[in-house]
Amino acid sequence: VTEFLEQFLIEGRELVQQTTEDLLALEEAPQDQAPLDSVFRGFHTLKGLAGIVEFPAMSRVLHAAEGSLSAVRSGNQAITAEAITDYLACLDQVSQWLDELEREDRLPEVQDSTANALAALFEESSPDISPAAMAAPATAQPNWIEPLLAVHPEQRGAARVAVRYRPDRDCFFRAEDPLALIAALPGLLTLELTPNEPWPSLDALDPFACNLSMTALSSGTFDDVTECLRSATGQFDIHALAPARPVTGRPALSPEALAVLEDQLLLAREETGQGFAGRLGSAGQVSVNVLRHAGWADAAEALRHVLAEGLRMGQAAPFAECLQKLISEPLPASDTEIDGPSLPRSDEIAVRALRVEVERIDAMVRLVGELTVLKNSLGHATRLARDGINTVALGALLTEQHVRLDRLVQELQRSLLGIRILPMRYVFRRFPRLVREMAGELGKSIRLVIEGEATEADKAVVEGLSEPLLHVLRNAVGHGVETAEKRAAAGKSPTATIWLRAARMGERIIVEVEDDGAGIDTAKVRAVAAARGIAVPEAIAAMSEEEISRLIFAPGLSTAASVSEVSGRGVGMDAVRSAVERFGGHVEVASRPDGGTRVRFEMPIAVIMSRVLTLEAGSQIFGVPLENVVETARLAREQIIRIGATQAVVLRDRTIPVVNLANALGLPGAGAQAGQANVVITSTAGQLAGLQVDRFGEQLDVMLRPMDGLLAGLRGIAGTTLLGDGRVLIVLDMEELLQ
Amino acid sequence: MTVRLAPEGGIVLDGVCPVNDAEPLQQLLLKHPDAWVDWRGCEQAHTAVLQVLIAAKPKICGPTRSAFLQKWILPILGR
Repeated sequence: VTEFLEQFLIEGRELVQQTTEDLLALEEAPQDQAPLDSVFRGFHTLKGLAGIVEFPAMSRVLHAAEGSLSAVRSGNQAITAEAITDYLACLDQVSQWLDELEREDRLPEVQDSTANALAALFEESSPDISPAAMAAPATAQPNWIEPLLAVHPEQRGAARVAVRYRPDRDCFFRAEDPLALIAALPGLLTLELTPNEPWPSLDALDPFACNLSMTALSSGTFDDVTECLRSATGQFDIHALAPARPVTGRPALSPEALAVLEDQLLLAREETGQGFAGRLGSAGQVSVNVLRHAGWADAAEALRHVLAEGLRMGQAAPFAECLQKLISEPLPASDTEIDGPSLPRSDEIAVRALRVEVERIDAMVRLVGELTVLKNSLGHATRLARDGINTVALGALLTEQHVRLDRLVQELQRSLLGIRILPMRYVFRRFPRLVREMAGELGKSIRLVIEGEATEADKAVVEGLSEPLLHVLRNAVGHGVETAEKRAAAGKSPTATIWLRAARMGERIIVEVEDDGAGIDTAKVRAVAAARGIAVPEAIAAMSEEEISRLIFAPGLSTAASVSEVSGRGVGMDAVRSAVERFGGHVEVASRPDGGTRVRFEMPIAVIMSRVLTLEAGSQIFGVPLENVVETARLAREQIIRIGATQAVVLRDRTIPVVNLANALGLPGAGAQAGQANVVITSTAGQLAGLQVDRFGEQLDVMLRPMDGLLAGLRGIAGTTLLGDGRVLIVLDMEELLQ
Repeated sequence: MTVRLAPEGGIVLDGVCPVNDAEPLQQLLLKHPDAWVDWRGCEQAHTAVLQVLIAAKPKICGPTRSAFLQKWILPILGR
């Protein structure tokens, strides 16, 4: 990619993002001039960029959109939700082109038809006539078309051409038969005949003067219609309409249908045994019927075959698999369609380029300068050492230089990490669009309130939160929030609210997703947990509502129980939890029946630098993240009491379990010594625990490297770092270790 | 003639009715304002003929042989 295109990519992406935000703001406040101006500027600048890099398809589409926006600005056209969707579709397309450019290292080759189809979205309503648009039959939609479409709303989707034809008064003398021409129109959808002058009484009617005007809608092509009317005289207008929105894939399954299908799936998965064939047969028949009813005729047919085969073989598995696939099927691939409300893909979330303030760079340049000075003075010290200066003086010199180096490295680290600090806005900004579209797909009315988007954290944390947040938001929209009718029945406002909040608490960042929906259906969770064998039925029955809510994070529970068009993408809440824990964060959920659900993420602000306390146990050195350490205590050995198989210590009236680190890790212990025991009191997820070690070490700032390769699966270890003397320091993951 | 008065009193449109049928149709309708127009045998009618029907809105005896007339003109006559 040339530098030119590189710049185009970066600026293009920023403009698309900014303009998307402005469009959503405009939708919120259609009367506001500021977002409208900003949207217009965005499209205009994007068009300019496309011109610079010579990308005609993009210029063409953006020009059409800009023309339509200009009509909105001049007050000739109202801004509607459909128009916003069209503009967003246009930006989506641009975004895809940018992706393609990045992937292929060259400007994408775009079919004229693609660009034309997209441009046509705007040109029907655009009074602006561009050279490219001139090729299209017409640009401004005359005022007679909308009433015509309004009378025949059912034809709006199919109509591609609108015709208005007023034959000359004396056309009959030229052997013309206007209605015969109309009768021959391809794909005639509607026909209206109106008298040019009110009909006179029959005796006053001149039967050889044409008094009729005709308006018609056709599903034929503009060219065919024009050809058909070629011989006609008089006034006629032929207008191409915006292309009919392509129907993508199957209609979404309703939540009710999904619930029924899920139940059939559970039924089909039950152990085989008595009544197996009957059970499978009826589960299958119900599923086939539901699918057929939902308009999934092809899927229903396929499933019926699998079912018949399964019944013949006496096996339920093929049927269950097929059904599972159907209900967890992702949305039809709509993002290649011009109007596909494509969800931002997760790889788009990653911030590809950082904008860094000049001051930060200057500060680093200054630091590098100081490091150079230090390097020179170290050279001086080595010469002194070679010349045989006395060791005490050399030691003093080196100590002084070490202190300086320490300070400089710390500063450099801080500045570098500072560059990586991003506001949560980078992730949050994608969500309003997403929620708008998911809500639209499900026919729900949802308001997304974002708070604290300026809260900052390390780039890795901010990006690491995007996928989990996306999943939780999908859940909130898909399951948490009820339909408007259900909400009204529950006495709630028909418009649901989802809050997305970020806040900083010390060295942690708190991000919450809260909805005012129905709360977690704990009865269903209980049933599914029991059916999947997450826990024994007695244990499930004994669990409090709160504990049941927490079960959604259990592996194996969430996937199938929460499958739907919007929320079912094969990622369960257990994946959310592990994604968050990878960053040393944790996630919890609170839910009230009919009151809503709140999912709360707590993450460290920075993941790269961790402060650890080193310890020795079993003649090995370990690190414990300082954030887990509450205190270090030297206790009399007798204070550690044995309770059954475990040990505990009573400290300030609290009983704290104690784990002998060497034993827990299967290392040779230091032996049962009399006298004192060294115990580190740690706090993990609010739980105190003691770690008995041989010796306490020191506090260190370390760059933690996560375990990879063969060791990635090791539990209880957060990562490793190299110590100054070359030894490897293993940093413990307290949460995993104590489980 | 493709337009004629039937012995029973109805006005019959038959086959392909050309532009020249417009005037006789008008005269028949003026003479027999309550007559039915029987277009069951009509395969096609010129705009001028249809214009007379539209202006006069007589009672229609159908269906016609022309799908176009049946689908698009009949509703207009009924209004």
